[in-house]
Amino acid sequence: MAAKNKNASRYLIHLFPLPALAVYVLFMIIPVFTALGYSLFDWHGMVRGDFIGLKNFVTLFTDPQLSGLFKNAIGHNVIYFLVSLVVQNAAAFYLAYLIYRKYRGAEWFKVIFFVPRLLSLIVVGFLWNLILNPNFGAFNALLRTIGLEEWALPWLGQTSTALYAIILVNAWYMIGFGILIYLAGLQAIPQDILEAAELDGCIGFEQIRKIILPLLMPSITIMTILTFIYSFEAFDLIFAMEGSEGGPYYSTDTLATLFYRLSFAKDGASSAIGLGSALAVVMFVIIASVSAISLYLMTKRSNA
Amino acid sequence: MKNSSKLMAASLAVAMTVAGIAGCSSKDAGTNAGGEKKENVKLTMTSWRVEDTKQYEKIIEEFKKANPGIDIEFKAQKATEYDTILDTALKGGQAADIIQLRPYSGATKIADAGYLEPLDSLKGISNIDASYYEAAKGSDGKIYGIPLSTNTTQIYYNKKLFEKAGVSVPKTWDELVQVAKTLKEKKITPFALGAKDGWILSLTHATIGPDVYGGKDFVQKVLKGETNFKDAKFVDSIKRFNDLTPYFPENFTGLSATDGQALFFTEQAAMYIGGSFDLQPIRDKNKNLDFDFFPCPPASSGGKGTITTWVDGSFGVNKNSKHKAEAMKFMEFMTTKEFGQLFADNLGRVSAVKGVTPKDPMVKKMAEYSETIGTPYMILIHFAQGNPSTKKTLENELQGMFLKQATPEQVAQKVQESANSWFKPKK
Repeated sequence: MAAKNKNASRYLIHLFPLPALAVYVLFMIIPVFTALGYSLFDWHGMVRGDFIGLKNFVTLFTDPQLSGLFKNAIGHNVIYFLVSLVVQNAAAFYLAYLIYRKYRGAEWFKVIFFVPRLLSLIVVGFLWNLILNPNFGAFNALLRTIGLEEWALPWLGQTSTALYAIILVNAWYMIGFGILIYLAGLQAIPQDILEAAELDGCIGFEQIRKIILPLLMPSITIMTILTFIYSFEAFDLIFAMEGSEGGPYYSTDTLATLFYRLSFAKDGASSAIGLGSALAVVMFVIIASVSAISLYLMTKRSNA
Repeated sequence: MKNSSKLMAASLAVAMTVAGIAGCSSKDAGTNAGGEKKENVKLTMTSWRVEDTKQYEKIIEEFKKANPGIDIEFKAQKATEYDTILDTALKGGQAADIIQLRPYSGATKIADAGYLEPLDSLKGISNIDASYYEAAKGSDGKIYGIPLSTNTTQIYYNKKLFEKAGVSVPKTWDELVQVAKTLKEKKITPFALGAKDGWILSLTHATIGPDVYGGKDFVQKVLKGETNFKDAKFVDSIKRFNDLTPYFPENFTGLSATDGQALFFTEQAAMYIGGSFDLQPIRDKNKNLDFDFFPCPPASSGGKGTITTWVDGSFGVNKNSKHKAEAMKFMEFMTTKEFGQLFADNLGRVSAVKGVTPKDPMVKKMAEYSETIGTPYMILIHFAQGNPSTKKTLENELQGMFLKQATPEQVAQKVQESANSWFKPKK
């Protein structure tokens, strides 16, 4: 009796992912194929026209205005990724290491660093918009009080700083997550290895470089890929802080904001569902292929 | 024991979900049955003016008095989400009976998709000037919406700050620049402007530009293809905007449009170039603000100056509505002077209906100016198309100009390139 029951529940277990799987298929898999379908048609506003094959893709890459915007946007995605990768990962690792080494108040800091992650990204955006307001924001007020008057710039209102300001705000938001990942990775390193290294005189930075970092490769891999995916989908924070135009003067425009404008253009512009879908497909291809390749290469290396 | 409780939990969860779905649907059925009484017809009406809901309900009350048996439910959605919601509703056949239409290409887009009922033969259609219907036509030239009002843009000014600085309302453009200079010397920000949002830049340019490029005549020439945006006069209009840079707030490229408006109603800046739709919000934010407006002054003292106008949204009838006849009744009502007066007085706007005099003195003055020295908001009326739209291109390029990354000539060049990608002159 008991054995039969056990068998039944073993099969039952397979049913539990079904609700999640249904949601995943409905909101993730189906839209990918719908977008692919949409991108092959001509659209008149919201009415579907004729089948036009790859013409939307050709327009996206060759139209002088669109291809310029596309290149500009993808360049910002790359900067977003590289800067996030360096700032977020280096800082997250450093902080995780300090917590791991149990510096005074480590547990407190773990909580404090994670707190921003609990806020909605839109809330974070509006909050930092207020902090970075050039004339009555807290950040410039601070700069003025400590005598750095000439540094009190319109951080979000000039092309040279706007993108970096947003990336740093994003890093502030995301760092708690990185710390958790690295801390978990550090705690998984067997103590005896570290003790053996210490006996051999391998301590401090040398220990980090030669023992801890190689053993952390799985965490670094997953963080790198997550950062990549996130950077190439960057939208919400930019939308909250600079609007859908990716302003000022396209300086924070990314593929996702460009997609949003193309598909759901406002102010009576012809919303080009076909072009937008084509861009969405391009984004999907970039993100999926780069993630897959890097995952393959990095797991292969860590297995070797 | 443990296993059976798991099973039970799972089946309970399933049962609850089913019950939940069933519960929802039965509730829906209930409201439907309640709403559709035999003698009464209940129409639905959508709009993006959430802030005007109470005023519209008042107007609908008046309509019900004259048309017993017809009830209208006014349902507004957030302006920024309205278009997407409406698109989806129209596609799914769930749209309201009476639909608010964005002016110009917004209305054309929906009419061309075949979702609207033509209104050309409606009784009372001639109570509104024919020029208004340009904002509510399909590509087939038929009328699909009853327009509500004219918007105007003008220069608001703070009377107290003008007095404090010892300046008066300028009669020419040079005097305006002089006023700005004096204000700046007195440590008062002359113009409240936040350039982080593009739309306020095209609006400001449309306010101060027409006097330079020659208003209506220039627009006609552009539409006929006799000239284009690279015209020296158009470039000069952009230069005029650029030359005002010293009189904008500190760090204005980092301020949002609302930050800009805030500088005006908190009395930190003396002038604000804005739309007629800003009037009520400014009053609401600072009840004690003593302000008025003037049109863009002419370049020379002989000129008349300009006030920029465009037709705002309209209401149309859903082609697939079950109660078209009743919806048409409301369309008829919208063309009456009674409606025009109710609209003007309740919403503080200029009505589209002929012969309506608004009670509010400032609104009245806007209506008069738009009759005498009105000039069309060219970019919004004729160039809000393309991917990206020519209007958005102008806005972004102006932003680039204030960030010192584009010259006025380059702005004009980019705008023309965008227009070239879709615009065909009417020969």
